[in-house]
Amino acid sequence: MKLSKKVVLIGHFGVGKSSLIRRFVENTFTEDYKVTIGVHILKKDIQIPETNKDVTLVIWDLEGNDDITNTRPSYLIGTHGFIYVFDLTRPNTYKNLEFDLNYIKERYPNLPVKVIGNKKDLVTNEFIKENKEIFKQYVDLYTSAKTGKNVEEVFNQLAKSLV
Amino acid sequence: MTQDDKLQILKDILLKDEHEYALSLEQKLKDLEAVINQQPNLSKKINPIIDDKLLEFVEEIPETLGPTITETLKAEIKNSQDAVVEALYPIMGKMIKKYVQKEIQLLSEAINNKMNNTFSFESLKRRFRAKRSGVSEGDIILQDHFKPTIEQIMVIEQGSGIVTSEYSKTQNIDQDTVAGMLTAIKSFAEDAFQAETQNLEYIEYENYHIHLQNFSNYYIAVVISGAFTATFRNKLEDKLLDFAQNVINKTDLENSSILATKLKAQFEHEII
Repeated sequence: MKLSKKVVLIGHFGVGKSSLIRRFVENTFTEDYKVTIGVHILKKDIQIPETNKDVTLVIWDLEGNDDITNTRPSYLIGTHGFIYVFDLTRPNTYKNLEFDLNYIKERYPNLPVKVIGNKKDLVTNEFIKENKEIFKQYVDLYTSAKTGKNVEEVFNQLAKSLV
Repeated sequence: MTQDDKLQILKDILLKDEHEYALSLEQKLKDLEAVINQQPNLSKKINPIIDDKLLEFVEEIPETLGPTITETLKAEIKNSQDAVVEALYPIMGKMIKKYVQKEIQLLSEAINNKMNNTFSFESLKRRFRAKRSGVSEGDIILQDHFKPTIEQIMVIEQGSGIVTSEYSKTQNIDQDTVAGMLTAIKSFAEDAFQAETQNLEYIEYENYHIHLQNFSNYYIAVVISGAFTATFRNKLEDKLLDFAQNVINKTDLENSSILATKLKAQFEHEII
């Protein structure tokens, strides 16, 4: 029987949610920034390596929002897993990380949430080390939609926790 | 040797260079006159220069004159809308007329084909229907031609937009993405109107009509081609309600293959 799961990407404007999805689904990247209006939906069939189970990820790319409380709740109904994306180069996009994650966990207590710092290609390892105190307790992975670093990994890890 | 002769010799010695220079200038002037006064010679010299300059000018037109031309055209169109419409109307009219003519021709051929099968079972059935209903055979053919047809039917989970099961005559759409988009549109519309008890029930997309029948945990999206009439809609709603109440149960909703079989059995054939 076919297994489908709804995955929602959430985060501020311009953190690279659409780019991450495009990299994961189409393996492409463009420097042109096109703002997502409303929601964009894509899907990808993947196989979980350890279990050989096939799963279809229906990925909801929500428009960016600087205030998570303004996210349209109806878009989140029926979600099976979240990916929270922030931009490593813009502190504004991770200064409310704790509040935003609590907001998600209070409303969807049993759902897996992957937290990722995107645009890793634009910061150095030293920068990550310097900000370790902020990142280490929340961040699951550092990704780069541009180079493709850890992108497959994020979705595979989430898919694994969903089946 | 006279005094004059001596003077001449002295002049020749002193002014020899100037004399030669004057002679060469005279020759150059004559050459120039030959070029200027004779058109073929002049053309040979000037044409390549003009050609280069013209080429340069033509290449630069989009940059130098483009914005001015565009602005002028825009202003002209804005100021003389009636004239533009008058100019375009015959062209557009012809195109539309040609398209309509072609469509009518195709329709006419389809009707002819049906009428020509005089002794077929379908034809006899149609004649019987015409006599019984009092509607002309031609009208029945037309009605049949635009008959609504269910192209695809999907049972979709409310909220998540995940397709529980589906049946389609032709697999030409990506059901997961379409179901997701339908759910997003539904969610947006229902949020926007801030009416929790109201649901989006119908979407039109190019030649397709998408009927949405809402239930508590799921909704059914039916993609229809042809004329989506009120009669068809009523029958479809009745059939969908009957399907939800009497044909499927909670277990079926958890088993996509059983649900797909039931969908096919119920909606494979025409319902009107």
